[in-house]
Amino acid sequence: MTAALTARVASAQRIDSIPPWKAEVRTIAVDERLAADAGLRVGDLVVLAAEPGNASGDTVRISAILQRRADPSEVARSEYRIRTHLGQLQELIGYGDRVDRYAIQTTGGVAADSALRRINALSFGFHAYPSREIAVETSKTFLVVSRFHRAIGMITIVASATFLLCIMLLKVDERRRDVAAMRLMGISRATVVRTVMLESSFVALLGSLFGVALGFAVSAFVNAHYQAVYRTPLRFAIITAGTVTYSVLLSLVLGIGAGALAARRLSRTPPLTLFGR
Amino acid sequence: MSGQPLLSVRDAHRDYPHSGEPVHAVRGVSLQVTEGEYVAIVGPSGCGKSTLLNLLGAIDRPTTGSVTIGGTAVSALPDKAATHFRLTNIGFVFQRFYLLPVLTAQENIELPMAEAKVALAERHERARELLGYVGLAARADHRPAELSGGEQQRVAIARALANRPIVLLADEPTGELDARTGGEVIALFDRLNREGMTIVVVTHDEKLAGAARRVIHMLDGRIVRDEPLLRRA
Repeated sequence: MTAALTARVASAQRIDSIPPWKAEVRTIAVDERLAADAGLRVGDLVVLAAEPGNASGDTVRISAILQRRADPSEVARSEYRIRTHLGQLQELIGYGDRVDRYAIQTTGGVAADSALRRINALSFGFHAYPSREIAVETSKTFLVVSRFHRAIGMITIVASATFLLCIMLLKVDERRRDVAAMRLMGISRATVVRTVMLESSFVALLGSLFGVALGFAVSAFVNAHYQAVYRTPLRFAIITAGTVTYSVLLSLVLGIGAGALAARRLSRTPPLTLFGR
Repeated sequence: MSGQPLLSVRDAHRDYPHSGEPVHAVRGVSLQVTEGEYVAIVGPSGCGKSTLLNLLGAIDRPTTGSVTIGGTAVSALPDKAATHFRLTNIGFVFQRFYLLPVLTAQENIELPMAEAKVALAERHERARELLGYVGLAARADHRPAELSGGEQQRVAIARALANRPIVLLADEPTGELDARTGGEVIALFDRLNREGMTIVVVTHDEKLAGAARRVIHMLDGRIVRDEPLLRRA
């Protein structure tokens, strides 16, 4: 079998030359964390053993450095990983001719569902599942986390919307005397409403663009920081086109809504009352 | 001075409800201002002079009585018509200038003209002309925050003149200014009146009142003295 498995390595000790009793060495791949921490490079010789300090381990050559997958389930795992050939792994851990699970990929016109049915009809002592089901099962935790994030996001949006509304109303209220003066000069209600709404839309648009820029900057910082901490290519914060569209639209709707509310209040109040008389 | 009555107030009363009781801000005032007059309304605080100015400017309506400006019974105008009347016929100058901070001096002057749908080129030309008239041609592109109090008030006066009003009404126009810049505003009003503008000011400033041709004294919502001053050479 040429397939490689991922396994924990108990010991990987670098050596300078191939032992004289070995005609050739097999190859392995190590993950970048191990390579970085142990100072390993492609072409280096290492001795693999199931226990630390076991001199009778298997001498192998590093043929590749593996980058970790962007998989959230792997983020918190701190152990090192190597990939070996299956037989090599079985020898190393003394597990015999056994596997716990393996994956089958269908190709060409073979339908996964019909293959699955046939395997389960023939199998004895094990069960086949579609990868979709496995993915759903293993990602349930992340679904819950995702729902938490969504709830936090909604609370943040509601709170910031209320805040934005209050700020807009306060800002417009600060200018009630300016508006009163405009109305006394003969500027119509319609012009006042139009001006306030135009201004609030402009502020909302600028604010949302600033927010998007800030979001990109913060997510870049978050990603850089946590990718360094966990040594993973996983992106912890992602701003999609949908997120940008949603936030800009929401901001515009809130801004225009707040502007309309404030403009309505101002235009319906007599100018002398706005002046406090 | 043509002698034609431009502003006419007949037996005007203005009451405000306050804690269930009416407050009589103006009590039976009758007054006529002819074209080209320069009138100062003076009196202690709370005597009703600002309320009278509001009635003269179609800002407020009398509870009873009538106000006529240039032949139009403004006290009977609905709100929208009164607003348009103010835009095209009356210039207001406020104590605190109320220039829009985001607009330049020139744009502030153009604002009432834009509302009156004056053509852009004409607005620019008129605003430049008015800035020159008030001595601020070099400050056209400055925003209010970059102008002194006296300069802001001169811009506000230019704004009040933008739509060629038939009367200029001012409420304590020197109230926020020091003696020197207040003097500049007084001189500007004097020049405007000499050139034919009808001006009514409400003031506590003796110098400003002294510059007027007629001083109306108010007390407790009534006119108690109305005295023409000697015309100066």
